[in-house]
Amino acid sequence: MSTITKLSRRDFLKTTGFAGGGLLLGLTGTAAAAEAAEHTAFELPPFVSILPDGAIQVGMPASEMGQGIHTGLAALLAEELKIEMDQITSMETIHHPVFRNGPVSYLTSGVLNTQITGGSLSMYAFYGAFRKMGATAREMLRGAAAERWSVSIDQCRATGGRVTQVATGESLGYGELAKDAARQTVPEDPPLTSPADYRLIGTRVPRVDTPAKINGSALFGIDIELPGMLYGAVRHCPVFDSKLSGVDDSVTKAIPGVIAVIPMESFVIVVATNTWIAMQGADALVLQTTGGDPGFGDVDIDKRLQQALDGSAPGAVVATEGDSEAALASAASRMHFEYTVSLQAHSPMEPPCATAWITEDRCEVWAPTQVQDSTAMIAGMISQFPPEKIHIHTPYLGGSFGRKTSPDYVVPALVASKVTGHPVKVTWSRTEDIQHDKYLPPFRVRIDVGLDDNGVPGSLSAKLAGPSPSLPMVQMVGQYFPPWLGEDGYDWAVCVGMFDFSTRAGSYPIPNLEVGYVPTDIPVPVGFWRSIGTVHNAFALESALDEIAHARELDPIALRSQLLKDNSRALAVLDRVTEVSNWGGTLTEGRYQGMGYIYYLECYQAQVAEVSVDNRGRVKVHRITCVIDCGQAINPAIVEAQIQGAIIYALSATLKRQINIENGRVVQGNFDDYPAPKMKEVPAIDVHIINSGESPAGIGEAGTPLVGPAVANAVFAATGKRVRRLPIMRSDLS
Amino acid sequence: MTISLNVNGQKYEVDDSPDTPLLWVLRDTLKLSGTKYGCGIESCGACTVLVDGRQVRSCGLTLDEVGAKAVTTIEGLSPDSGHPVQQAWVELGVPECGYCQTGMIMAVVSLLARNTSPSDQDIDRTITNICRCGTYNRVRAAIHRAAELMA
Repeated sequence: MSTITKLSRRDFLKTTGFAGGGLLLGLTGTAAAAEAAEHTAFELPPFVSILPDGAIQVGMPASEMGQGIHTGLAALLAEELKIEMDQITSMETIHHPVFRNGPVSYLTSGVLNTQITGGSLSMYAFYGAFRKMGATAREMLRGAAAERWSVSIDQCRATGGRVTQVATGESLGYGELAKDAARQTVPEDPPLTSPADYRLIGTRVPRVDTPAKINGSALFGIDIELPGMLYGAVRHCPVFDSKLSGVDDSVTKAIPGVIAVIPMESFVIVVATNTWIAMQGADALVLQTTGGDPGFGDVDIDKRLQQALDGSAPGAVVATEGDSEAALASAASRMHFEYTVSLQAHSPMEPPCATAWITEDRCEVWAPTQVQDSTAMIAGMISQFPPEKIHIHTPYLGGSFGRKTSPDYVVPALVASKVTGHPVKVTWSRTEDIQHDKYLPPFRVRIDVGLDDNGVPGSLSAKLAGPSPSLPMVQMVGQYFPPWLGEDGYDWAVCVGMFDFSTRAGSYPIPNLEVGYVPTDIPVPVGFWRSIGTVHNAFALESALDEIAHARELDPIALRSQLLKDNSRALAVLDRVTEVSNWGGTLTEGRYQGMGYIYYLECYQAQVAEVSVDNRGRVKVHRITCVIDCGQAINPAIVEAQIQGAIIYALSATLKRQINIENGRVVQGNFDDYPAPKMKEVPAIDVHIINSGESPAGIGEAGTPLVGPAVANAVFAATGKRVRRLPIMRSDLS
Repeated sequence: MTISLNVNGQKYEVDDSPDTPLLWVLRDTLKLSGTKYGCGIESCGACTVLVDGRQVRSCGLTLDEVGAKAVTTIEGLSPDSGHPVQQAWVELGVPECGYCQTGMIMAVVSLLARNTSPSDQDIDRTITNICRCGTYNRVRAAIHRAAELMA
């Protein structure tokens, strides 16, 4: 990676007493704060306020999209502040410059120096800050009580939202102390609760959002209602990169309730008195388009990826170590593999949607966004207002999985509000969602290995070919982000998982290594899909190791243990998965196992899939066993839920479906032809957490990458047929 | 011309076009936003409500087809989130993003009204809602738990 920006430590604490006389705490600073080397010390400025009536309000830096981050961060604060979870009276995602995600900025060389919920990095980014915030507030409240009673601070014990004087038993509520606390000197290093005293960290704290999510009161992006609001829908030019040359809206405009038809460069917005009429109106439009490549299809994608692999360009350097060329030449034996991953849409249950209200002096947006800053920037571009007049609200996201990192879906709402003068909520139909996503990029990966006499790889050379998902985002918000991540085309988002800098420490220490990435242009928009580049990289690497193991008659887990023999956390995971998955034991007749290992998001993880394949090539996954060391699991229930969910998400892309391109456009259009797994297809999923006591790792995307290779490897065990392309098609096996 | 509708035991007069799907009448006209849009083709179940006590995907039922039938949405399921299915959902911490869960809960209420002790096969056959977060394993456990609570 050519340009890693070193971030400097520039955060400092600031307190302000405010009008109501409460304690308002925020870590403030302009830059993402922490030395690049010490990830766990990243501290960004969260926000807590304690009001005189005892209300405790927490501002959240991360969007809640189902991953449980609000519960996780609130628990850290509550732990240190010595309160119960239900004493937090409100919790809201806040858009604020000081909420930029330092680790994301670091990992993207400063390209995404922005408030973003992504990369499974929210806990990683804000763990230290939320604990410190809670501890700071607690110490200042104790200090205020000590002054009030003229006793030493040691005599003041904080618990349950009150400070109690040890000697007398007298106590004051946090609200009563808040005003005085705000005048206290901010402690530099408030003591943190020791692990032995944890009440909340490491326990299954019930999620704070559950009550609202079982009675219909939870407010999602799609649920915003404003006075005088109008409703919109969109219709895009079907062929990618094509532009609108004309539109026949006569049928649309004849529908009662249609208020406006707004043609844009590559899509049309229909505004109406309700969403249904708007969607009907959008369907009734006849679009005339020009440009794009209406001859483009799946075959061309394959051709381009193959050409990129076969070309002489070595690509951007992902990893280099020793002399892989010489080592390959002198190896006892060599093996060569190629693997392909197809396009996939995100299809979160809540389709892209946003509400905007541009008035004479302000612009407000309610968007289920993962990236508040790019949403604000788009709002500024369209409203022409300066940042202080832009207000971004983040309701709950009805799922996202990376889809709502792109601010494209906010544009129609902003334009429609600007044109009509009303607040407008624009909801994409499912078809628009599936046909105009920012897809999982298709990739082809080539691996050459040189094996020693025992079949252990001593050299590995890999080449990755596929489109960069970061480039479109860079282009979309051009004046905000510098172009590319590396001048040579390096894009961490698609290199992660193939001995890249972020996953190498826990990956296989192969002494001779050469990995290159050749950016490959295709006329299909791609983006960030849950677990990004590890989808193709783990599929390739873990399948290749399985092929090696079978070719040399080695046990797949034993081969990995041999490679990782000096990595105690990895070995613990492999040993545990051997035991709990009944690896090599007697299985129900007709069932076979396959496995994979990965170090990703600082999690050490192995998965074993147990499958059967019928004589018509139908694969059934019966069980997936996951063993994960994710450092300190803040909330084991949320870790389990995220791993289970990520596995099911990956199953849809392993077995269930793919996006096909024909005539320059997407073939599929809804859940009937782009189906998602349902209850009856979901395997038993056992998640075993190893608590290594290390600092907390990311969890939202950790479970996705191993499903493809573990299932494909199990399919090989079952059928002797090697799967080298995802998703697995029945035609590959029958 | 207005059409009368009976939702959660309350009478409404709406002037939407008779071919408007119930889903959009609930959401955009009656502002009952707990019922969600997911696909518009009765495939995902996010818009599931009860009509005369049975689960129906409200994106596929027009206003004039509903007529005077009793519609129950998630908002009308219980006054205090106290329905046994809701209790089981809380107990087992089922939701993640939560978007599909209201439809899922309504489908389960309909199932348990007809089958007080559903087998896993019954659940597989009847609960065909899509959840992209992958809460299925907890949904299954919570259905069994709700059945216990209702017994």
